[in-house]
Amino acid sequence: MFEIRKGIFVDDLKNVSIRIGEIAEEEEEWEALGPTPKPGILELREWDHKLLERYEPFYAPMQDFCNLCTMGPCDLSHNKKGACGIDLRTAKARLVTIACCIGASAHTAHARHLVDHLIEEFGEDFAIDLGGDVNVEAPLIRTVVGIKPKTLGDLRKALEWAEKEIVKVLHSTHIGNEESFVDYESKAMHVSMADHVGMEVADIAQIVAFGFPKAKPDTDLVPTGFGIVDTKKPVICVVGHNVMYSRPIIDYLERSGRIDEFEVAGLCCTAHDMTRYRSKAKIFGPISYQLRVIRAGLPDVVVSDEQCIRADLVDACSKMGIPLIATSDAAVRGLPDVSDWKVEDIVEALVSGKLKGVFLPVPEKVGEVAPKVAEEIFKRNKDRKYKFFASDDELKAEIAKCTQCMSCVFTCPHNLRIDIGMAHAQKTGDLSKLAILEEQCLACGKCEQSCPKQIKIVNVIMRSNFEKLYAKTGKTRVGRGPIQDTEIRKVGQPIVFGQIPGVIAAVGCINFPDEMKSIVEILEEFLKRKYIVVTSGCHAMDIGMIKDEEGKTLYEKYPGNFDAGCIVNVGSCVSNAHIAGAAIKIANIFAMRPLRGNYAEIADYILNRVGAVGFSWGPYSHKAASIATGFNRLGVPVVVGPHGTKYRRAYIGKPWKNDKWWVYDVKSGKKTFIEPAPDSLLVAVETKEEAIVQLARLCIRPNDTSMGRQIKLTHYIELSKKYMGDLPDDWHIYVRSEADLPLKMREELLKVLEEQHGWKIDWDKKKIVEGPLRGYDAGFNPTVVEEVFAKYRR
Amino acid sequence: MISKEEKFPIAKRYNVADVQVSKEATAVKPVVVANLIKKAKNPVLVTGGVLLREEKLVEIAVKFYEKGIPVIATGGSSKPLIEKGVKPLFKTYTLHQITQFLLDEDFKPNGKSFDVVLFLGFLPYYLSRMLSALKHFSNITTIAIDEFYHPHAKFSFTNLTKDKEMHYAMLEEILSKI
Repeated sequence: MFEIRKGIFVDDLKNVSIRIGEIAEEEEEWEALGPTPKPGILELREWDHKLLERYEPFYAPMQDFCNLCTMGPCDLSHNKKGACGIDLRTAKARLVTIACCIGASAHTAHARHLVDHLIEEFGEDFAIDLGGDVNVEAPLIRTVVGIKPKTLGDLRKALEWAEKEIVKVLHSTHIGNEESFVDYESKAMHVSMADHVGMEVADIAQIVAFGFPKAKPDTDLVPTGFGIVDTKKPVICVVGHNVMYSRPIIDYLERSGRIDEFEVAGLCCTAHDMTRYRSKAKIFGPISYQLRVIRAGLPDVVVSDEQCIRADLVDACSKMGIPLIATSDAAVRGLPDVSDWKVEDIVEALVSGKLKGVFLPVPEKVGEVAPKVAEEIFKRNKDRKYKFFASDDELKAEIAKCTQCMSCVFTCPHNLRIDIGMAHAQKTGDLSKLAILEEQCLACGKCEQSCPKQIKIVNVIMRSNFEKLYAKTGKTRVGRGPIQDTEIRKVGQPIVFGQIPGVIAAVGCINFPDEMKSIVEILEEFLKRKYIVVTSGCHAMDIGMIKDEEGKTLYEKYPGNFDAGCIVNVGSCVSNAHIAGAAIKIANIFAMRPLRGNYAEIADYILNRVGAVGFSWGPYSHKAASIATGFNRLGVPVVVGPHGTKYRRAYIGKPWKNDKWWVYDVKSGKKTFIEPAPDSLLVAVETKEEAIVQLARLCIRPNDTSMGRQIKLTHYIELSKKYMGDLPDDWHIYVRSEADLPLKMREELLKVLEEQHGWKIDWDKKKIVEGPLRGYDAGFNPTVVEEVFAKYRR
Repeated sequence: MISKEEKFPIAKRYNVADVQVSKEATAVKPVVVANLIKKAKNPVLVTGGVLLREEKLVEIAVKFYEKGIPVIATGGSSKPLIEKGVKPLFKTYTLHQITQFLLDEDFKPNGKSFDVVLFLGFLPYYLSRMLSALKHFSNITTIAIDEFYHPHAKFSFTNLTKDKEMHYAMLEEILSKI
């Protein structure tokens, strides 16, 4: 019955204004709500602690002091405590948490920029449509936030959650908060999960609003490398990670019918995203190509946005007479804000040299200014495209300055023997020992900072290998975005059962310990063995530069499907969300596990069943730290190159500690000890040989069927014999029955099990009688989450 | 300890910026390393990926093994070592994993904990981080016998980058004295 309650009643509405804010709509009941929608720091803490109990955090301090507050600096060496009471281990965990906060903020702020801009342009009701083959449109948002976004406006809700969590975790790094390194690691995992949500928001928004490819396997191939541009045309170079600002350049050139009169090429992920917008755009290369391209004088104008851009860009460009247009508020670069200026005035100021660069955060104006500036600079200075030095004599004079003091060698990230190359060139005129350094040089320029003679060492190295550098061009398959639901349906079972031996996700920056071609050598080993290879960001464009003897890149040799023996380029850094998304979709589409607010169950499923391994051969950025840590929380191990040890923290289990490796088996209802698979969540390798073997071993999962385990062990053992010279140390602990053994080696391996490991073998039946840690059971149903165990035991 | 009159190169860090406040490694000559090995209860040599491109280091590691020092091979260094008859204690695990294991007092692959660990054939920046972990979180005596001076080891060769022959000669000298 209707009842009038106490309250304020307005009789007369004169001079009363009523504002209606957001109308709260009830979420459509698309799936039962799981236990952790929009989780705070604590909701998944138990899951993290489970992981960290097994995969113990390992710290390798870069500094053993802390100077974050005014009580310091404090000596924390040998795990001493500082003035605030924090010890070295916890201080390192805090630092990693801060790094992950930075990474998460980068992607999430990028997403915020994009979503706000796109809502302004297209409206908040603009539909999220990723094509007919993608119905699970946002697996991360569904799983973490618990919503099913249908519009750009819905993405804002996911962003609001991510932003709130980033602030909360960042708060925890303030002096006088957390005192447990394990809890800091939990927070690092939490903020990195928010990072994955931020990435998903950003990429979904740009795919739907900019019309990027929607999960299409056979996207176009675009030219990639140093020598890709026609220097007879004005060259516009875009650099960074947020394509929102430079996309209008293409629009303007298309509108004016002049797109073919210009070259538009990019560095880093903006390059990827420009090619996703229009495949007429090209890719110069990753961050290590910034100085290569600028100092070669290839661009007529540079447009920068945000993240992983050199912090001396204004200086580098102005020395080459290249005007710079900075666009993102994340990197204003000390330049004057010309947002309110007329286009003609901005062009005039840049072309005349009155301004070295401008800050112009208005995408539409950037679209018009950049081509106009490029055209004028090109006309005026056609011969500026030179080979790092104006002449051979100038190069020779630069080399002659070197005294072999070796200051450069002891600042170079790779300790490259620049002194030997210089000395050899001085004596013989032969540049070959300098040229070979180019293959490994990151072009960071630290060598030049240390050189007492101010030698332009980067230029010397680049010029010495100019012909090969120029020829290092190939094709990159344009980033396709998400994985189709139909593809997941096809590969879900073979991945979970192990017949597809694994998914290798090559993601990250360019701090390779070896020549660039090493990434291709590693990945091709897995492509030939019918693993699924997925890639993104800088790794994806490096792959596009390295050709085989027939002049083909991996993209031209292997299809772009998410399937065995194929290589998928998902796109830019933020597209990494689709790799995590694919793992989640396997749990959802193949195994029918509900996603909504159900993170721990999904991560537990992935950890025990999905043989996916992340691989960052050249980790560098904070974003790489949060991407990797986000994958770790999701149950995906990550292998990093040796520079990755400088993140200071790893998650490495101890396989000989049998009591650490257990699961609940839903079928038997018992706690069961298992083989340590995978035995590390984050681990560095030193060489490509070691990378290959580690990636193969970390694909093994407790849930593998006999056939799957047999296939995985076959590859692991073959690769170990090939690269380590013998059987792996630990192959036997993955054997549950004779059916797990590689067919071709079965008898040989049974003999080893009997002789070296004391197992009992029935030789008449060729069966293992005694020895394995556990037997194989087709109904084995592992979980480490009590609630999941209880749920499926019912 | 290296004294100035012996004309060893100076102990210059492999990377000038890899600075910490705690004590830097004592730069040592081969005879000191040999004595440390002789006094050790359970020494081990850990080898790294540089052995794949430096034949001489393989030869040296083989000689250590022949002198009875067990070898843990990482980074793929097991392949050339196995070809020359070495049976490494481990060949699958990375230096990162081996360091994590070393930090655990329960890690006794040959029945005892390792008290002296020698490192040969590593990318310096990778080894530096592992030495830092062992310095701060264990009591193990670490000895870096690579061509670079490693500040985070307990003992390290001085900087021999400019003179590989001297480096090899120093390694041979250790072998001749154990």
